[in-house]
Amino acid sequence: MVQYNFKKITKVPTGKDFVDIVLSRTQRQTPTVVHKGYAINRIRQFYMRKVKFTQTNFHEKLSTIIEEFPRLDDIHPFYGDLLHVLYNKDHYKLALGQINTARNLIGKIAKDYVKLLKYGDSLYRCKALKVAALGRMCTVTKRIGPSLAYLDQIRQHMARLPSIDPNTRTILICGYPNVGKSSFINKITRADVDVQPYAFTTKSLFVGHTDYKYLRYQVIDTPGILDRPFEDRNIIEMCSITALAHLRAAVLFFLDISGSCGYTIAQQSALFHSIKSLFMNKPLIIVCNKTDLQSLEGISEDDKKLVEEMKSEAMKTLIGQGGEPREGAEVLLTMSTLTEEGVIAVKNAACERLLDQRVEVKMKSKKISDCLNRFHVAVPKPRDQKERPPCIPQAVLEAKAKEAEKGKKKLEKDLEEENGGAGVYSASLKKHYLLAHDEWKEDNMPEILDGHNVYDFVDPDILQRLEELEKEEGLLQEQEDDEVEMDVEDLTPQQQKELAEIRKKKSMLIREHRIKKSTAENRPIVPRKFDKDKKFTSERMGRQLSSLGLDPSKAIERVRSKSRGRKRERSTGVDDMNVDDDGSNKKMRLRSLSRSASRSRSRPPTDVVIPGEGFKDSAQKIKAFKLGKKSVQKRNKDARKGEGDRVIPTLKPKHLFSGKRSNGKTTRR
Amino acid sequence: MPQGDYIELHRKRNGYRLDHFEKKRKKEAREVHKRSQTAQKALGIKGKMFAKKRYAEKAQMKKTLAMHEESSSRRKVDDDVHDGAVPAYLLDRDATTRAKVLSNTVKQKRKEKAGKWDVPLPKVRPVAEDEMFKVIRTGKRKTKQWKRMITKVTFVGQGFTRKPPKYERFIRPTGLRFTKAHVTHPELKCTFNLEMIGVKKNPNGPMYTSLGVVTKGTIIEVNVSELGLVTPAGKVVWGKYAQVTNNPENDGCINAVLLV
Repeated sequence: MVQYNFKKITKVPTGKDFVDIVLSRTQRQTPTVVHKGYAINRIRQFYMRKVKFTQTNFHEKLSTIIEEFPRLDDIHPFYGDLLHVLYNKDHYKLALGQINTARNLIGKIAKDYVKLLKYGDSLYRCKALKVAALGRMCTVTKRIGPSLAYLDQIRQHMARLPSIDPNTRTILICGYPNVGKSSFINKITRADVDVQPYAFTTKSLFVGHTDYKYLRYQVIDTPGILDRPFEDRNIIEMCSITALAHLRAAVLFFLDISGSCGYTIAQQSALFHSIKSLFMNKPLIIVCNKTDLQSLEGISEDDKKLVEEMKSEAMKTLIGQGGEPREGAEVLLTMSTLTEEGVIAVKNAACERLLDQRVEVKMKSKKISDCLNRFHVAVPKPRDQKERPPCIPQAVLEAKAKEAEKGKKKLEKDLEEENGGAGVYSASLKKHYLLAHDEWKEDNMPEILDGHNVYDFVDPDILQRLEELEKEEGLLQEQEDDEVEMDVEDLTPQQQKELAEIRKKKSMLIREHRIKKSTAENRPIVPRKFDKDKKFTSERMGRQLSSLGLDPSKAIERVRSKSRGRKRERSTGVDDMNVDDDGSNKKMRLRSLSRSASRSRSRPPTDVVIPGEGFKDSAQKIKAFKLGKKSVQKRNKDARKGEGDRVIPTLKPKHLFSGKRSNGKTTRR
Repeated sequence: MPQGDYIELHRKRNGYRLDHFEKKRKKEAREVHKRSQTAQKALGIKGKMFAKKRYAEKAQMKKTLAMHEESSSRRKVDDDVHDGAVPAYLLDRDATTRAKVLSNTVKQKRKEKAGKWDVPLPKVRPVAEDEMFKVIRTGKRKTKQWKRMITKVTFVGQGFTRKPPKYERFIRPTGLRFTKAHVTHPELKCTFNLEMIGVKKNPNGPMYTSLGVVTKGTIIEVNVSELGLVTPAGKVVWGKYAQVTNNPENDGCINAVLLV
């Protein structure tokens, strides 16, 4: 979202200042000393440098001017029109065009004189040429002096324009002068607009910001519009017309039903009908202001009819938007800024209408499908028609009911307020402590004892730790040892032998397992080539599985298919030793057999789009895959592991650092 | 008042500061002293520029002061004496003027013989040959020195093709060939950028005329169809003579005065 910042334009110097700046720059930043006795080339270079340097500076500064001023065709049409209304597009373009021509002229002058300087054969001649060149460039700049002054004026004014973002949520306020627009904006935003009893107090657009439903809205106050034919409008009114025409905003048309602004309801309704074409596609709300002086019911019959007419027009825009025709209350509202009744209601209604319209437009646009593609709400398919409502246990329901009748829990805040407020009552933070004895709650805990911090020694598990410590010191161990020794003495020598054997085997198994675990490294623990004893066969697997109670046939089949393929391959290899005519046949067989082993993982084909992946259709998916592969291709060709692999395999490749050249010298390698 | 004019808005609502006007007055009074300080302290090129500007300002100020001081007082009016007015005691005599009357044709003939024309620059500084020509060494051993390069501005016609490089003695570099001149009309006092038609006469010699060298004082012929001059007979004048008034090789352009 581009925020137009016209404040960033650099100051445009006047013609004379411009010349001064550039010439003094040249004098400071180029060498200044040259003598008659120098070589003629050196003298020439000295003066050519000055001419070129001056031209570069002029070019630079004029280019910044041309680039920083906005092009009226490139910016948002609202700003384009506003600038046209305020400054006249043609003058603006002419001034910038003159600066452009000056820039080109200066370039040409520099080119011509640098060419002439090449023929300079004395210091005097070169110097005279340089003086002539700089003089001509300065004359060109002096001639554009008036344009520069004009552009500086424009720049100062542009920097003071209110920063209106034409793309965000906007509410526009329009109506006759003195109906209460500025007081309304003062009430709902922090903008401090001048409110005076005379007409045309507001002479330009004013911006304020307000919030609604956690979103920021900008409110634009316009100068009052009189009911005149379009050509007769002055610049101030044209500002409001421009805003109405180009900004996609909710429009609040203000109506003064008391007539204290000096214009009758008839005049105001005439204005409404003359500018109603500008309200196309915009949510429109007619606001009747100053109800404290005159209520809406109390006006005369003709006025009521006019108001009804306006209301029906506004309803037309409502229906035209595609919304359901709600009650007319949404279109015609009354309020009074003096007594502040109805002000918030008007603001809410306008914000609501604007938000609805913007959301609708966004839903219809193309961009939304980009977002929607990425979402996939997965709903489980219903297995049957049974309804499965949420299950809440009975105890919870009862507890909830009890709590409901018990009423609200008393909060600390309420307690504080009861007991005298914030400064008077201090809550006792210790009353919810969980302690072994309740009397300990209000105790003061010492912080320092015997020169040590008590908190360094506080530990909730201190008794448990003590037990463990004692265990380690072997006090409990001794007790256990006694028990074990007694057991061993009871056994017969044969049983003792068996026990020792068992223990040995157990320790061996543990050791073996430990070795296996540390050296396995995600590989199968016994690779086939080391299984010399052929302990791990498919029959053994089948026997073990059946002993567990499972059906081994499927597993054996799967394993067999892999191994069978391998075996076949070996046998055809032997036959290949004889030269055969149907070699192609064999190759095909080879390929078809090995294919069973090559599919390591089952994947769906690339065309099929699974919802939730984020692709619009299969073509996009294929393209995404292609792009992914292409981005990796170059890296793979360089034999690099990844994006961060900056390894250069050979820092001094031989072909670059040795050998003679067919023509030329070898001083550079 | 636009929304961004905080200073003016504050002034409108709260008025000026209590000492605002006094401060302003005193600041303006101090400006004079500050300016004299900078004038005395500024050194180098800044000082020179400031002094020049200040001098111009002072001169202008003096003129305006003198203008203001002009009083509407009455002064004596001097009657101009007529030409040929004779004092009272000679009124009766016949005035006879004795002078040799020469006819116009004789005068013209004399002028032509003398070679003096009625031009804005009757005398110019002569240009030496070594200033005009630069010797170019050619040949395998760079010993031949018969070629010359012209170091001044030249004019060659439109259909000009140079001689084959092996045989051309005088080289007229392209960078120094000019086709247009800035011609001033002496009575209208305005300058036009006119195309040259040819070089009529170079005061340094007939050789330079034939080469087309344009130096100060050269008579050139320019295309004046732009000016829209018409002879009394009704024919349109499209070529006129002009004399060059500057050194074109030092300025990069040819400035001339039209000979009417």
